[in-house]
Amino acid sequence: MIIAERKTLKELLGMIDGCSRVLILGCRGCVAVCSAGGDKEVAILASALKLGLTRRGKKIDIEQRTLVRQCDPEYIDPLNQDAADFDAVLSMACGVGVNFIADRCDKVNVLPALDTTFYGANLSSGEWKEMCAGCGACVLHLTGGLCPVARCAKSLSNGPCGGSQGGRCEIHPDVACIWQQIYDKLSGLNRSDEMKNIMPIRDWTSAGHGGPRRRIREDLLP
Amino acid sequence: MKAGSNLENVLRSGAFAVTGELGPPKSGDLGLVRKKARILKGHVDAVNITDCQTAIVRMSSLTAGLAALAEGVEPVMQMTCRDRNRIGMQADILGAAALGIKNLLCLTGDHQKFGNHPQSKGVFDMDSIQLLQMVRGMRDDRAFQCGEEIKGNEPRLFLGCAANPFADPFEFRPVRLAKKVSAGADFVQTQIIYNVEKFARFMEMVRDLGVHEKCYILAGVTPPKSLGMARYMKKFVPGLDVTDDVLSRLSDASDQREEGINICVDIIKQVQDIPGVAGVHVMAIEWEEAVPEIVKRAGLSNRPDPKGIEPVLSSSQSIEKAVEDARKEIRIELEEELERAKTEAQASRELVIKEKEKIASEISDLKKQVEEARTMASRKEAEVQKLTAEIEMAKKELEAKQAAAPSAPVPEPQPPAAPPVPGPAGPLTGREQRVLESLNLGLEALKTVLGLDDTQFEALRRFLEAEFMLQFGQAPVPVTPSAPAPPAPGPAEPQPAGPVPEAAPAPPEAEALVEEPVKPEKPARNKEVVNLVAKGNLALHSGDYNGAIEAFEQALGIDPEDAKAKAGLAEAKAALEKAISAVQPSESEESEGLLPPCPEGVDETWWKEKWIIRYTARGNVAMMNGDYEKAVVEFEKALSLDPENGKAKDGLNRAKNKEGIRIPEAAGAPSVEEEKTPEPAAAPAEEEEEEKEEEAEAAPAEEKPAKPEKAAEEEKKEKPAPEPKAPKVEISAPAGEGVSDLSVTPLAKDEPPLSERAGDIPEDVYMESCSGMIQSVMLGDGENAFSVGGETALPFYNFEGDMPNPPRVAFEVLDSEPEEWPDVLTKYFSDCLSDPAEWARKCVEQYNAKSICLSLVSTDPNGADASPAEAAEVAERVVEAVDVPIILWGCGNAEKDTETLREVTGRIGDKKVCLGPLSDANYRTLGATAMAFQYPVVASTPIDVNLAKQLNILLENLGVHLDHILMDPSIGAVGYGLEYTYSVMERIRLAALTQQDDKLSCPFIVNLGREVWKAKETRLPSDGMLGDQERRGVLMEAITASALLLAGGELMVMRHPKAAALADALVEGML
Repeated sequence: MIIAERKTLKELLGMIDGCSRVLILGCRGCVAVCSAGGDKEVAILASALKLGLTRRGKKIDIEQRTLVRQCDPEYIDPLNQDAADFDAVLSMACGVGVNFIADRCDKVNVLPALDTTFYGANLSSGEWKEMCAGCGACVLHLTGGLCPVARCAKSLSNGPCGGSQGGRCEIHPDVACIWQQIYDKLSGLNRSDEMKNIMPIRDWTSAGHGGPRRRIREDLLP
Repeated sequence: MKAGSNLENVLRSGAFAVTGELGPPKSGDLGLVRKKARILKGHVDAVNITDCQTAIVRMSSLTAGLAALAEGVEPVMQMTCRDRNRIGMQADILGAAALGIKNLLCLTGDHQKFGNHPQSKGVFDMDSIQLLQMVRGMRDDRAFQCGEEIKGNEPRLFLGCAANPFADPFEFRPVRLAKKVSAGADFVQTQIIYNVEKFARFMEMVRDLGVHEKCYILAGVTPPKSLGMARYMKKFVPGLDVTDDVLSRLSDASDQREEGINICVDIIKQVQDIPGVAGVHVMAIEWEEAVPEIVKRAGLSNRPDPKGIEPVLSSSQSIEKAVEDARKEIRIELEEELERAKTEAQASRELVIKEKEKIASEISDLKKQVEEARTMASRKEAEVQKLTAEIEMAKKELEAKQAAAPSAPVPEPQPPAAPPVPGPAGPLTGREQRVLESLNLGLEALKTVLGLDDTQFEALRRFLEAEFMLQFGQAPVPVTPSAPAPPAPGPAEPQPAGPVPEAAPAPPEAEALVEEPVKPEKPARNKEVVNLVAKGNLALHSGDYNGAIEAFEQALGIDPEDAKAKAGLAEAKAALEKAISAVQPSESEESEGLLPPCPEGVDETWWKEKWIIRYTARGNVAMMNGDYEKAVVEFEKALSLDPENGKAKDGLNRAKNKEGIRIPEAAGAPSVEEEKTPEPAAAPAEEEEEEKEEEAEAAPAEEKPAKPEKAAEEEKKEKPAPEPKAPKVEISAPAGEGVSDLSVTPLAKDEPPLSERAGDIPEDVYMESCSGMIQSVMLGDGENAFSVGGETALPFYNFEGDMPNPPRVAFEVLDSEPEEWPDVLTKYFSDCLSDPAEWARKCVEQYNAKSICLSLVSTDPNGADASPAEAAEVAERVVEAVDVPIILWGCGNAEKDTETLREVTGRIGDKKVCLGPLSDANYRTLGATAMAFQYPVVASTPIDVNLAKQLNILLENLGVHLDHILMDPSIGAVGYGLEYTYSVMERIRLAALTQQDDKLSCPFIVNLGREVWKAKETRLPSDGMLGDQERRGVLMEAITASALLLAGGELMVMRHPKAAALADALVEGML
């Protein structure tokens, strides 16, 4: 799941400054699950903006909508007809949605209401944690399913650095040392010997360092 | 050997290695790096240069590492994966290796979160293990990380890694280390160890894995600087296990630093005992000063000699070094070039010298040949005369036999009406034909008589021709039997001609006599008389009336009654008179002919005068050559153009009297060789040598056979040196190469007066009379006293005014044995150097010194510092020893000179000496002393017109009269400021003479000997370039003296006898 987090009101008010009609556009995908951009969050944001604007002595028209997904043309394209009705569309989807609207709706002035943060999991209510970096070259089979690329501060490939102390990463006591976990995991699986193998230097091309990534599946192409 | 670094060397040698750590500055200040490096140098085998440790921006490890390397400290360059991706890292690795980095410690690096740029993007393109792999690949496989081959130099690096035995998971730590080693680590430096026990366990596991055998493990230690630091490390530095023991030791210690060092040393000692530990890595962070102490206390001071530390310099350093190297190279090249040039120059000089010698020897050979030819010619002449005499005898006999027959009148050789006209010989008259035939017959007879072979005969004939040609300036007509006869030579000449051809006159005469009818003659005449008469006749007929007179007179000397001789004498005298009288009127008639047509545009009077001078000169030349007849002719020619010309008249008289050139100074008039006509061809008689010498010196070069001056000089040297006429006491030089002869030939003095030379230029154009006058200062007393000065004109400008007193030379005598005089100088006084009195006497008696300057050098307070009494004693002895004027010259220290000279005067009393030098510092005291005794004084000033004048004024105010003052302008020798001296003296003199500046009108005393002989050129030994040492020194002194004489010097203080003689000769010649 894509984890996102709403930007501060101040920042958002700054974005829409000068606009008289604004559409707040939610998404019922990932951001709804991580409580960042669903129907509920759209309504909250609309009220907050109004309050904020009122306090600043301004008054604008704010309309609220929430699409099923903002990462699908089927839901995006109708926006083109309404484009003339709004000075700005404040998207509460992840970065994908914002980009998608911008791509497809020429006349729409789309603005991001969220910071898209990571690929994570919901540990418990209100807590999400990064689990994957989307590096495009998964090594989880070697690391007991635990990703050193996403979860080690230095993306180490060959075991814990000297800063691993008591299962914690040196950068912060709250951060677990993933390599300690990997060691423990593999030890638990009697696979600790695998850690003696040297993981070769990585190819970061698939991690985006080879340029914007795309995927094509021939059999599904129209 | 993987990289050949010092660390690698040490570790491989098995020695317990010590490495240090150096944190580059957070600035661009390389000085800090150098400073730290110097602290560590010699105490560690290598120094880690951290790579922005704790993610704080610092100078790069590569740069700082190079600086350390330049200090002679081997760096271990650290490289983290935090800040560069593989591209940047490989690039830096290549560069580092290229610049001399040989150790690389591969680290992942502290997370950027810890540093001063936590917002930065951590690169972490790889981890430390992958980095090791990459670098090892570059080194061992010559491949970049991508697999591409490294073409060219691969980075040779000794690879290290870090290991933290105290991080978790503890059991994995040895495994991770093993991974690093298998990835390429050659050595390991561990995290700081305080917990030795835990480290020992770690090592045990490492040993179990066998890792300690695959790499060198250096135990990391750090002296805790304080309890606070230890606590901080314990609390905040991840992976650092600071034990309570350490903390308590520090807290209990009175000196925490000291205890920190002790803790560190203890740990080192402990880890040393742990198997597998190959060394220690001492990290004294910002406390580098502690390292030497720790190393020392740990007993690790004796670091192996560093190997493989070769800084590869960069940028300005390398440019400077390159420039320096290039300079050195160029300098060496230049020096070689110079050396080569010198050698070449030397070689060519030697060649030239050889060539010169060769030429000289050729010239002397030629001379010898000429001399031989002359001798032979004179011998032949003698033979001819003998033969003539015999013919005469034969004739007499024949006369006796044919007494009865009345003889035809003897065909007296009659002078032709006119002298033979030069030009192409016209058809010969019958008489001439006969004469020629006779001549040839005579020659043939001569050939037979003399037993000459054809070649000799031919040679003789050619001589005749040549002589003829010379005599008449006409193309010779070959004298061959078949050829038409030339006009008769000599005998037909009415004038007393020049040198008579040596052998020529005889044959025609002989022939004529043979053919002439024989006269009856009384027998029983003295044979000698007969010979002499014959010789006389021969001479008479050949026109040598003087020779004839001489011969007849000799004959009469033997037999006063001999009629023939009497008659001959009378005839000869008559002929001579006739010849002389014939010349004069005819010359006057022919004076037009004597004077070549005046070229256009030339003043006729001037042209005439020119020829008068020319004829006079020719006469002089002839006279010098001993050819008085020719001289007479030439002088008469001159007189015929100007009967009143005094020079020509004088010359004529002298030529007639055979006096030669008169040299006024010549000691005694040149002796007239009584009753003796010089025989031109005869070898110069001894008495003639004097004259010859004079000729050589005095003859104007105009008509003199051009003899290369050098050859002449050499000749003089080689030949028994002609006795000079100089009024000098003959003195011989001590053995030495430079100056073989101390005598000097006087300068020519027969220069016509300026008025004559100036021609018709009016006098007022070139004459400038002076209104001032130089003081005349009397030096010494008694018969050898003399005055200097008194001029009313510039030096030697005799045509403008008077120079009544010649400048003089005073010989310098030192009061103690000279220490720095070169041998070429001391050798003249070697027998008396230690005795100034004797020395002075020698100067006077042997070297003709007119004055002595006694230098009281021993009194110099900076030198021997002799007491005034000692100096006075010496001065007294010198004053007593010689009778010439004496100058007493102090050491130049004003105070000391006052004491010394006062003491001296107290002892010599009335005897007149001259005191010097007086300066502005002591003129009062010494001036007063001098006044009391009426001594002249030397007023000494440092080359300055105004100072000189000022001192004179001061002295005058004191009461010293200007005619008691000699000015010492202070001088510089040639090459040492002579021109400046000259200029100052000239200005002083001009002021005195032309601007009536009487305060500057004192004569000059010029103390030049000491200046010249302290010049280094007088001390350098003889060599090819500078020539002979003595000659060099003499010339330097003489040249300095000449220049300063011309500037107005009146009393010249000199050292070398030859130089003094040269200066004297110059003065003689110029006055």
